[in-house]
Amino acid sequence: MAYVSARGGERAIDQAERLFRAEMGPIEPERVAQSRDGLPYLIDRVMGEASLYNPDLAALALAQTGGDLSEAVLLLRAWRTTQPRIAVAAPVEQEGLFTHRRISAAFKDVPGGQVLGPTLDYAHRILATEVLDGEAFRPSPVDAAETPTDPTPPHVSGWQAENELVDLPDPDPTKGEDIPDITRQPLLFPAKRAHTLQSLARAETGGILALGYAAMRGHGSDHPTVNELRLAEAEVEVLHPSGTRFSAGRVKVSQAEVVSKQGERLRLGFAATFGWNEVKVIAAATLDLNNTDHAEKGSPTEEEFVLYHTEGVESSGFCIHFKLPHYVSFQSSLDAMRDVAARKAAPAEHKEHASIEEPAE
Amino acid sequence: MTLADFAHRGAASSYAFLDASAKRELRRKMLKAVCVPGCQMPYASREVPIARGWGTGGLQVSLTLVTPKTSVKVIDQGADDSVNAASIRRFIARVAGCPVTTDTCTADLIQSRHRIPEEILRPDQILVLQVPNPEPLRPVQPNMSVARQMHADADYGRMWLQLYEEIVRSGRVMQGSAYPSLVNGRHVMTPSPIPRWDVPKLHMARHLTILCAGREKRIHAVPPFTRVEPLVFDDIPYRVEEHANLTCAKSRARGFFMNELPQADGSAIHEISDSGYGEKSIRLRDGETDVRGQTWYRDGRMT
Repeated sequence: MAYVSARGGERAIDQAERLFRAEMGPIEPERVAQSRDGLPYLIDRVMGEASLYNPDLAALALAQTGGDLSEAVLLLRAWRTTQPRIAVAAPVEQEGLFTHRRISAAFKDVPGGQVLGPTLDYAHRILATEVLDGEAFRPSPVDAAETPTDPTPPHVSGWQAENELVDLPDPDPTKGEDIPDITRQPLLFPAKRAHTLQSLARAETGGILALGYAAMRGHGSDHPTVNELRLAEAEVEVLHPSGTRFSAGRVKVSQAEVVSKQGERLRLGFAATFGWNEVKVIAAATLDLNNTDHAEKGSPTEEEFVLYHTEGVESSGFCIHFKLPHYVSFQSSLDAMRDVAARKAAPAEHKEHASIEEPAE
Repeated sequence: MTLADFAHRGAASSYAFLDASAKRELRRKMLKAVCVPGCQMPYASREVPIARGWGTGGLQVSLTLVTPKTSVKVIDQGADDSVNAASIRRFIARVAGCPVTTDTCTADLIQSRHRIPEEILRPDQILVLQVPNPEPLRPVQPNMSVARQMHADADYGRMWLQLYEEIVRSGRVMQGSAYPSLVNGRHVMTPSPIPRWDVPKLHMARHLTILCAGREKRIHAVPPFTRVEPLVFDDIPYRVEEHANLTCAKSRARGFFMNELPQADGSAIHEISDSGYGEKSIRLRDGETDVRGQTWYRDGRMT
């Protein structure tokens, strides 16, 4: 079946979708639950890029798309945008986070301690092939620490500010509905601070990593030091219509704060996102750090370049749109090409607009 | 009262998918776009259930304008049953409960990718064009914020220079589709990647055209009776594709924009690109009368 035919295209489209779904098989609640419980970091990544914190919906989106990440994020975003905004949660303070992991590369030890939390950072990456032979991989039990660490450690940059090493940005007093919302407003440049941070939070992980890595390799002006990286849970504190403040639940969040060591004072770059996704926030914070006034327009670390090209739904959608028929614009260009070729073959007939040799430089 | 009472679960509950706040924003931005013809208005651009770059801008406009009585036609490259046109039409009909048609003359709202139908549109019809790249200055200035400033200053020197360089290099302007055009004597816009054949149809047209880019979050418009002038030098006239003398292999009709269909023997045949009009031409050939509306082009010439 041709993909544009005189009639009958609709049937082919319908069958193509059926073929995809038939190969996926029925989606039972168990499959969704397995995805949610077995792949929490994938769920986190999808929730962050969708800017929708709901592990069940994220798992459903993954199950429905067979794990195609761009499709899953699009599904969630399209669902999210139709939902009412019933409340705007109170701002989350770094020190109020219930912290599972908090490390600083800037100091050997920091007030509150280096809390490694759950990580594969120091693991040997060896495939547990015995599982395929029927032998389950059973993780070794964790020995609890003698004294629990403080779940709400102070932030490193606070100490640095006290010691006049860094100037902390002034607190932004904007509240509630007045906070600019990237899902309700277009992104314009120079971008509002809220828009920048929201865009980084929603950015596609691979895209932000690619540009962040470019900045780290030397295409940026500032090399990052990880001042503080946190994996935590944040209370979603909202105002009930009856007037009481209450927590509607906890969401997993990641935050990275990186610093540049050039100049007299440290400069901060920051990023945060839903879910636990360390590579994303470190790369995003590095790009935030490199987005200075001197970042050249069009350079890979400049704000407009970064924010436009790491928007996952837009970039993936545009990329796959090239599969759509383009024969009208193609025809239009062929017409001009053939005309030029014809003129070159018979220059005498078209003397009036014949091409003119460019003068040598 | 619990949180669950506030949040409605499951399917989108709004008529025509988009919620009221999204539609309100689009209505406001469409009005602004009509007030300043050809000027790009930024808007939030919500996600819709098709991929970005597949007509999400056009779709948001259609979903905002559609009512249960609106007769909707959707075309892609001129064809009603191209993959994406069929998918978008099915979606609009599903969420808006509106009738659909392939007949340009009976449609109230036409969403199109890269073509303007051959039949003249009336004042009561609205044409919605899908736009991949709303910025005509992109080839000379890839940075959106700088380009925005250039529009504000009507700083189009580099556009003219680019056209001049093409003429010097190739002997003609090489722009195929999406020919940059001056709207109402003030803003240069892209008419979206419609062929050069279609651009004159926008000039002093009786209908409203809304051009909307979903991914790039920009909307612009050509209101009725507005000048749309392709950028050309006085001594080198604007030229549409050389399709005036091509004959449609299916209907034997001549003088319309054609699709070229390569044949196995190395030759090519042509068919009318506007599939709705092509079908009517076949019916005319088979003896039916009064099937075709008035067309912009007659005998291959713009009237």
